Amino acid sequence: MEVAEAAGEGVIHYLPVELFDGVVINMQTMYMSWLTMAVVAVIVFAATRKAEIIPSGIQNVVEVFIDWLNGLMEGNMGSEGRRAAAPFVITLFLYLFIGNEIGLLPQVGAHLTSPTNDINVTLGMAITVSLTVYVFGVMRNGLGYFKHFIQPSFLFLPLNLLEELSKPTTMALRLFGNILAGEILLIVLYKLAPWVIPDIWIGFSLIVGFIQAFIFTMLTMTAIAPVFRSHH
Amino acid sequence: MIDINATLIAQILNFLVLLVILAKFAYKPLLQAMDDRRNRIINDLDSAEQTRLDAEALKEQYAEQLAGARQEATEIVTKANQIAQNIHDELVEQARVEQEAMMANAKERIEQEKQQALLDIRTEVIKLSTLIAGKIVNQKLNSEKDQKLVGNIADDVLDRR
Repeated sequence: MEVAEAAGEGVIHYLPVELFDGVVINMQTMYMSWLTMAVVAVIVFAATRKAEIIPSGIQNVVEVFIDWLNGLMEGNMGSEGRRAAAPFVITLFLYLFIGNEIGLLPQVGAHLTSPTNDINVTLGMAITVSLTVYVFGVMRNGLGYFKHFIQPSFLFLPLNLLEELSKPTTMALRLFGNILAGEILLIVLYKLAPWVIPDIWIGFSLIVGFIQAFIFTMLTMTAIAPVFRSHH
Repeated sequence: MIDINATLIAQILNFLVLLVILAKFAYKPLLQAMDDRRNRIINDLDSAEQTRLDAEALKEQYAEQLAGARQEATEIVTKANQIAQNIHDELVEQARVEQEAMMANAKERIEQEKQQALLDIRTEVIKLSTLIAGKIVNQKLNSEKDQKLVGNIADDVLDRR
């Protein structure tokens, strides 16, 4: 474990900077997060700059993803849930998808890493998902939404709290571990065998990046779904 | 390597900013366009179905009308045939009656002519016979008594014939 961590320290740099007393920001992560945001924004704005009834070009591409996610949302949380959560889920998926893949781009001129190789990012996203669920829950059911923590009886409170904490933790760690491991292995492979083999691993990592973004988005939907199903 | 620090908070803010910007400026028009398209396709399909049903109803109506017209035409032709047959029968009957009347008339006239002719012949025969007999017997048979006698004989002869 210590050896692996040491290897990780050697190849992955977060560029931590202490902005104020005790406030440390990983600047590499921030840069890559902003880059990812910019790419997502450019793609989405290009697709929606003039949204047409009859789509073409990039609007088609983005609509394929949106249609796909809309279908999943409709199936998981019904049409009311889809309408409420669509912007959040779509943005989440696009951000994670682009973020996962951006670290696999050729390292020419700039040091590109995935923002999702930082536990702060993945945990931040997972916490955002949890908070979003609470926001939807309170918006839809009022403060009574929190009653589900003591159901079926108040004895379940510790168990429910544990579940509430473990869900975002596992989501964050799964994404973080997959992406960080992919990047570390890629760097190690470049050092061991600079030709062909890293490219195969990049191809594999691209798929992993998509699947991890999908899994995270899917878990987000299943986390939101009970809020919209409880009333029916 | 697993240092949780202020990056977490910063990332949450990053994502919220991205979410707000995209939701406000990008997703609304796009989702609106997708919804519009969906509704339009549903409407188009509905109206196409409605049009198809209308066409079907019209077709049925036309078929009904056509069948009715055919029925009517058949009736008209049948009636016309019936009328023609009646007229034909009437005319034939009329012609037959007329012909019979004409025949009867002709027969009657022939009979009259015949009687007239017989009478004429009788008178002529009497005259001739008298003349011939007179010439033959010359002086002897010119009294009235003789004339009468000859008439009787002539009648006898004519009746015997």
